Amino acid sequence: MNKGYILKRLLRSAISVLIIMLIVFTLVYTLIPRNSIFSKDDGYRKLASKPDEKTEYMYNIWQKLGYLTFVRSADDFQELYEMGSPEMEEALKPGSKAAEEFKAKYEAQGYTVEKYPKSGRYYAYKDIPIIQHVAVWLSNLIEIDTPWSVKDENNPDLHRGISLGRTESGGLALIGSGTNHKHLIYSDSHFPWLHQNIIKLQFGESYPTYQGLDVMSVLFQSQGAEVKRPVTYATGKEAESGIIFGTETYKAVVDRMDKQKFTDNYASYQVQRDQPSMIGTSFIIGFFAMILSYLIGLPVGLLMARRKDKLADKLGMIYIIFIIAVPSLAYIYLFRYLATAAFDLPSVFTTYGAKDIRSWILPTISLALPSIAGLMLWTRRFVVDQMSQDYVKFAKAKGLSQKEIFNRHIFKNAFIPTAQGIPASLAACLAGAIITESIYAVGGMGKMLPNAIQQYNNVMIVALAFLFSTISVLSIIAGDIILTKVDPRISLTEKAGRS
Amino acid sequence: MVNNPILSVKNLEVKFKVRDRVLTAIRNISLDFEEHKVVAIVGESGSGKSVFTKTFTGMLDINGEVTQGEIWFEGRNLMDIKDDKGWEEIRGKKIATVFQDPMTSLNPVRTIGYQISEVIMKHQGKSMEEAKKEALELMTKVGIKDPERRYDEYPFQYSGGMRQRIVIAIALACHPKILICDEPTTALDVTIQAQIIRLIKDLAEEYQFTTIYITHDLGVVANVADYVAVMYAGQIIEFGTVDEIFYDSRHPYTWGLLSSLPQLGLKGEELFAIRGTPPSLFEEVKGDAFAPRSNYSMKIDFIKEPPIFDITDTHWAKTWLLDPRAPKVEPPLVIRTLHQRMLDMTKKGGVYGER
Repeated sequence: MNKGYILKRLLRSAISVLIIMLIVFTLVYTLIPRNSIFSKDDGYRKLASKPDEKTEYMYNIWQKLGYLTFVRSADDFQELYEMGSPEMEEALKPGSKAAEEFKAKYEAQGYTVEKYPKSGRYYAYKDIPIIQHVAVWLSNLIEIDTPWSVKDENNPDLHRGISLGRTESGGLALIGSGTNHKHLIYSDSHFPWLHQNIIKLQFGESYPTYQGLDVMSVLFQSQGAEVKRPVTYATGKEAESGIIFGTETYKAVVDRMDKQKFTDNYASYQVQRDQPSMIGTSFIIGFFAMILSYLIGLPVGLLMARRKDKLADKLGMIYIIFIIAVPSLAYIYLFRYLATAAFDLPSVFTTYGAKDIRSWILPTISLALPSIAGLMLWTRRFVVDQMSQDYVKFAKAKGLSQKEIFNRHIFKNAFIPTAQGIPASLAACLAGAIITESIYAVGGMGKMLPNAIQQYNNVMIVALAFLFSTISVLSIIAGDIILTKVDPRISLTEKAGRS
Repeated sequence: MVNNPILSVKNLEVKFKVRDRVLTAIRNISLDFEEHKVVAIVGESGSGKSVFTKTFTGMLDINGEVTQGEIWFEGRNLMDIKDDKGWEEIRGKKIATVFQDPMTSLNPVRTIGYQISEVIMKHQGKSMEEAKKEALELMTKVGIKDPERRYDEYPFQYSGGMRQRIVIAIALACHPKILICDEPTTALDVTIQAQIIRLIKDLAEEYQFTTIYITHDLGVVANVADYVAVMYAGQIIEFGTVDEIFYDSRHPYTWGLLSSLPQLGLKGEELFAIRGTPPSLFEEVKGDAFAPRSNYSMKIDFIKEPPIFDITDTHWAKTWLLDPRAPKVEPPLVIRTLHQRMLDMTKKGGVYGER
C-alpha cells in the first residue's frame, strides 16, 4: 500500500468535495429566490399583519443563514443612547441627524440602507459573497470542544479544565469544565459503547423545518417517544426520565427544574427515544438488505453461469428482466401485497414500530429485490466471462474438476469487480431509499433530501450534499483499496504502468 | 505400423455443431503414437491439429463430439469415458497439455506456487507442504532461479518465457505419459522459443514421456521430432520419420508446405505460396481434399478419396500419385534440393531451429 498515494487521493477528494460545496452553495443561496425560504415558516406567516416585525424577522433569518449582514439603526445607536430613552427614539426617527449619519456611514461601507415599511426607521444590509459564505461555513464545520469553548459573561467564575470521572450512569468519562459538553469522552452500555464529544460536525441550525435543532441532531438523534426509566440525578433526585447520561451540555440560564437535577450549568441533555435515528433506520434496513442481496445474488449468479442457457439460468433471467422492466414502485407494492397476504407481517413500519422485528422484514427484503437482480446479472456476466478464459481451459487440462475450477479459480476472479463496489453499496445505505421508505412509512433518510429541497431547508440541503459527497468519495477510495487486496495485479501508485 | 504404441487412434471422426450446421473437423484418422518418441503434427490453421489432440483428453468444446472411432491408451478405449469425472483420471495425470499462450494459461490472481501445488495435491494426494517441496523442485527443473521467492509470486511478475516454463512444470507435475504441446512457442519470441524447445526435449528424456507437438513451425519439427504427421482438412495425409518427410515427401501438400518455408526459399525466386483456400468442412469432401489447390491433381483426385500407400515401414501418404497407374511426377525443384541446402545451412555450426 502506498501511503503517499492514499494521501494524495484524499487531498484530491477533499478538493472535489470543496468544488461540489461551492456549486451547491451557489445553487442554493443564489439561484433559489431568498424570499421562498419563508413559504413553509409558520412564524413568518403569523407576522403577516405586522410589516415591520416581518421585515426584521426576514433579515434576521437571512443573517443567520449567512445570506447577508444586517444592521438596524437601533443596534448602531446602542452605544450612544440608552435603549428606550427619548434620545434614542429621537435618533431612530427618519430624517433625524443620527439617522442620516447612519445612512451615510453604512452606504459608504457598501451596505444598502432601507426603511422599515411602517416606522420608516433605517436598517442596512450587505450581501455576503458566496466564496466567503462557503469559507465561513467550512471554518465552522468542525467544532472542537475545549475548556475555553463556553463564553458566558454571567458566569465569570466558571472553572476551566479537564478531569477524569464518571457519568451518572457509572461509565468512565473525561469530564470537562468550560467545555460545551460536560463529558468529552464517556462510555456506557449503548452502541458503540465509547462516545466522544470533542470533535463535532456543525452544519448549523435547521430552518424552516426542524426549527431550533441542529442538522446533526435531526439526522442522528433517536426518534419517536421518550423511553423513560428510573434514574438518579447528580443531586440525588430520583425520577422517570429518558436522559442519556453523558450528553449534558452547557446551559447559560439554569432554571429551578434544572437545579433540582443538576449541580452545575450542564443541564441540557439528549433523551433516549424508541426509534433509531433517521440515518440509523436507513442504515439498518440498507445494511441487512445489502447482506441479503450478496448472500442471494452471488450464489444465484454463479449458479446461472454454471447452468448457462438451462432452466435455472432462464428463471434467473426472468427475475432480472422483471426487476429491470417493472418500475420499483409497482413491484414493491406487489411484493408487499403478496407478502402480507401470505405471512403475518405488517404492511407499514408504524404498525408495530421499530422495536418489533416484524416491522423491519418487508422493507429490508423490498430494498434487496433490485440489488439481488443487479448482483445476479453482474456475477453471471463476470463468471461467464471468466469461463471462456484460457486459464480455465488449462485448469481443466490439469485435471481439475468443474467444481474445483469454479471454487478455486473462476469465483475469485469473477468476484474482483464486485468487491470494489462493496463500500459504495455500504455508503448508499446511509442515503436511504426513498421509495421503499415511503411505501412502508419508515422514518429514514430517503425522504430527507427531497423534502429539504421542497421545504427550502437550505441548511439541510447543504449538509446532506456535504455528507453524501464526502461519504461517496471516501467509499470509492475504500473500494480501490479493497481491489488492491483481492487483486494482486493492482497496486495504488502515482506512476502509471508496471510496478 | 509402429512398435510399442502408447496411444492408438482408430478411425476417429469428430463433428462440430455450428449454428445448426455440422462441420466434420476430423475425418477418419488412424494413427499410432510410439512410446518415448516425439511426434509433430503440422498443417495450416483449421486443419484440425488441435481438435485431434483434444480428443485424447476429452477437451473438445461443448459443441464438438466424437462421432466415431476409438482411442486406445493403457489398455482401455478412452472413448468409453462418459463424464468429466472419468477424464480427470487422464487429464493432467496421464496426458498433460501445454497450451499456446502462457500469458493467459495461468490464473492471474493465484500465486504460481498455488497453481503448481494444486495439481500435485489433486493427483498425488499429497499435503500442502509436500506439494510445495515438489513444486519447488519442479520449478528448479524448468529453470526458475530462486524458486523459494518466486513460489509466492503472481503470473504478472513473470515474463512470457518464465510463464511457459511454469506451464510446463504444471504439465509435468504428475509425471504424465504423454505431453501434448499445442504450439508451445508461437507466442514467444525467437530466443525464448529455442530455450523452451530445448527444455521440453531435455525433460522428455528425464521424465520419459511421449511428446506430441502441434506446430506450424517446420524449423521446430526438424529440430525435435522423430515422426511427422502432416494434416490437411481433417486428415493426416502423410506420415513418416522426420527425414522421410523433409527429404522424401510424396504428397503434393507436403511439398507445398515445405516450399513455403521462408528459410528454404531459393535466392532470387519469389517465395512459394499454396494457391487457393482449404475446403469447407461443412460439406462432404469428395476425392482428395487437396486436389483443387494442387498442381499435380488428376481426374481421379476429384472422384475418389485416395487410400493409404505405404512407402516404407514408417512412411505412408494418401495421394493417388503413389498409385502404380499414376504418371511419374517429379517434386518441385525446391524440394529436390532441400536436403543439400539444409546441409549447407547447418554445416556452419549450430542446430537448425536454434539459430
